[in-house]
Amino acid sequence: MLRASNIQFRTKNQTILDSTSLEVESGQITAVLGPNGAGKTTLFKLISGESPCSCGEVHYNGLNVAKFKARQLAEIRAVMPQHSSVNFPFTVREVVELGLISIQAHNPDKTIAEVMDLAQIEHLQAREYSLLSGGEKQRVQLSRVLVQVWERKPYPRYVLLDEPTSSLDIAQQHAVLDILCQLKNRNIGVLVILHDLNLAAQYADKILLLKSGKVCFCGPMKEGMDEFLLEKVFDYPIKCMHCEATNQLIIHSSNQSKMYSSSRTM
Amino acid sequence: MAFIQASTKKHLSRWVLVSLTVFLVVVLLISLTKGAYSIGFSQAFAALVKPLGFHLEAFDIRSSNVLLKIRLPRIMLAVLVGGGLGISGAALQGLFRNPLVEPGLIGVSSGSALFAVVFLVLLPGMASTVPFLEKLGLPLFSFIGGLVNVFAVYYLGSKKEGESTATIILAGVAINALAGALIGLTLFYADDTALRSFTFWSLGDLSGATWSKLPIAAVLICIPSLVLLRGSKNLNAMALGEKEAFYMGVNVNRTKVILLVSTALIVGVAVSLTGMIGFVGLIVPHLMRISFGADHQLVLPGSFLLGAILLNFSDLLARTIAIPAEMPIGVITSLLGAPFFMSLIYNLKK
Repeated sequence: MLRASNIQFRTKNQTILDSTSLEVESGQITAVLGPNGAGKTTLFKLISGESPCSCGEVHYNGLNVAKFKARQLAEIRAVMPQHSSVNFPFTVREVVELGLISIQAHNPDKTIAEVMDLAQIEHLQAREYSLLSGGEKQRVQLSRVLVQVWERKPYPRYVLLDEPTSSLDIAQQHAVLDILCQLKNRNIGVLVILHDLNLAAQYADKILLLKSGKVCFCGPMKEGMDEFLLEKVFDYPIKCMHCEATNQLIIHSSNQSKMYSSSRTM
Repeated sequence: MAFIQASTKKHLSRWVLVSLTVFLVVVLLISLTKGAYSIGFSQAFAALVKPLGFHLEAFDIRSSNVLLKIRLPRIMLAVLVGGGLGISGAALQGLFRNPLVEPGLIGVSSGSALFAVVFLVLLPGMASTVPFLEKLGLPLFSFIGGLVNVFAVYYLGSKKEGESTATIILAGVAINALAGALIGLTLFYADDTALRSFTFWSLGDLSGATWSKLPIAAVLICIPSLVLLRGSKNLNAMALGEKEAFYMGVNVNRTKVILLVSTALIVGVAVSLTGMIGFVGLIVPHLMRISFGADHQLVLPGSFLLGAILLNFSDLLARTIAIPAEMPIGVITSLLGAPFFMSLIYNLKK
């Protein structure tokens, strides 16, 4: 289990993240939701081991993240940051292979082939990375991250993703989350920062709602997708509806009622 | 399919390195025979095998002297310095994630030059009193100067994430300006003997090569080059960004320090031996990347070989263009390099 207990992050004069606790279980997708500036990326940095916590601890499978060497950490968690640029003419395959740089893989070629197949980038592998479209680049980066933890191991592994669907079209967004769903049965836990509430409602098992560095809710998705709670977190009118046709939750946001009322007062 | 691809890639790398080596040997052989004093292939061969105990018909004492005492050490120095500049250029570009970086442009060379000048001008007595410093003092000081500047540029110019092409070049400009000013200031206070030794050093290009200088150069350039080669895999990861490299399991800080110190050592030694030779470290890695892709496991060793080829070729031109006079080699490399740099900027704009 990936567990953060009471972690805190402070800069000189302000607290960015205040005593946050969270558990990511393998075989589950946990989505982190919240408005801009809520501290999502800071939380992400602390959990990934990139920045040390001012207070509190992060444990991977019972071991403190601060005790790991970079190489050991890479074996149990893979991280996809928001933007990764590549300035040199690497091919797609070379970028994906980089994921294995410090992993002791039994069968690297098989891992790479399987992940590329999953992300549907096999046909691109000889192409130059920098010439790809945004969606293709994102899938290549995702593959690079996934090869790191793809091989089955006796212990659970984790994948952390910071807004993997930003700048993707609808089909690509679902493609990415479908891939994440397929990690569940490989003993991998997923922690993903999302902006789209509907995507979270469709794919997440658990959600964490974050506002101004504080946790407003952490638990099963169905309980967290509550109109009052979401309105409070996002400061915006939100309606939750149930769609009969697809048997899914639809999150609708609109300030029409506000506009309506303000025009009436005029 | 995947397996075939991986193996052909390895195959290609080996093929590239072998052909570059062959090409280098050819250039070296031509360099041996051409020059102000022309030596035939058979004479050259005879002179080369003579120390091994073979006496051939074509042996000629005069060409043997020219070859062994002047030309051979010079060519070997060109191999070391050219190769060193090539590989350190490639490593710096990878580390800064910036294709425009070059030891000269970002101020590593000028830092080395500044400290070399300080050593020559302000501490002339030291070299003669401390025996250890007589041979190692100049390379040591150059190394320290290069080290100071490479770290300065790194922390001044590079951002933790994303592209920082412009800021690094600007940091290099600033540091070059400062180093230039300090060199001028030092020279202003120099006395005549110190000035003379500085002038000799700054003009020293490759013609200053002697057998006594070569072992130091060989050790101080080859060892850090091997260190760089060992780090080439990590450089690939750093090309995606420092953060990403850490996520992938690379000890970023250690890698960074090792690479910066190694490049500073190579450039420092090269500058102390030959003065500032520009653009080799810029052109060579580019040619490698354009031709054979960005994998540093091939770019780094290839840059060493190609750098050695390029510098020997430039030296060949420098020695033969205006026989019996010799053109400074920096002129040749800059004449080749500056237009290349301009075309890079033009392409970057697009």
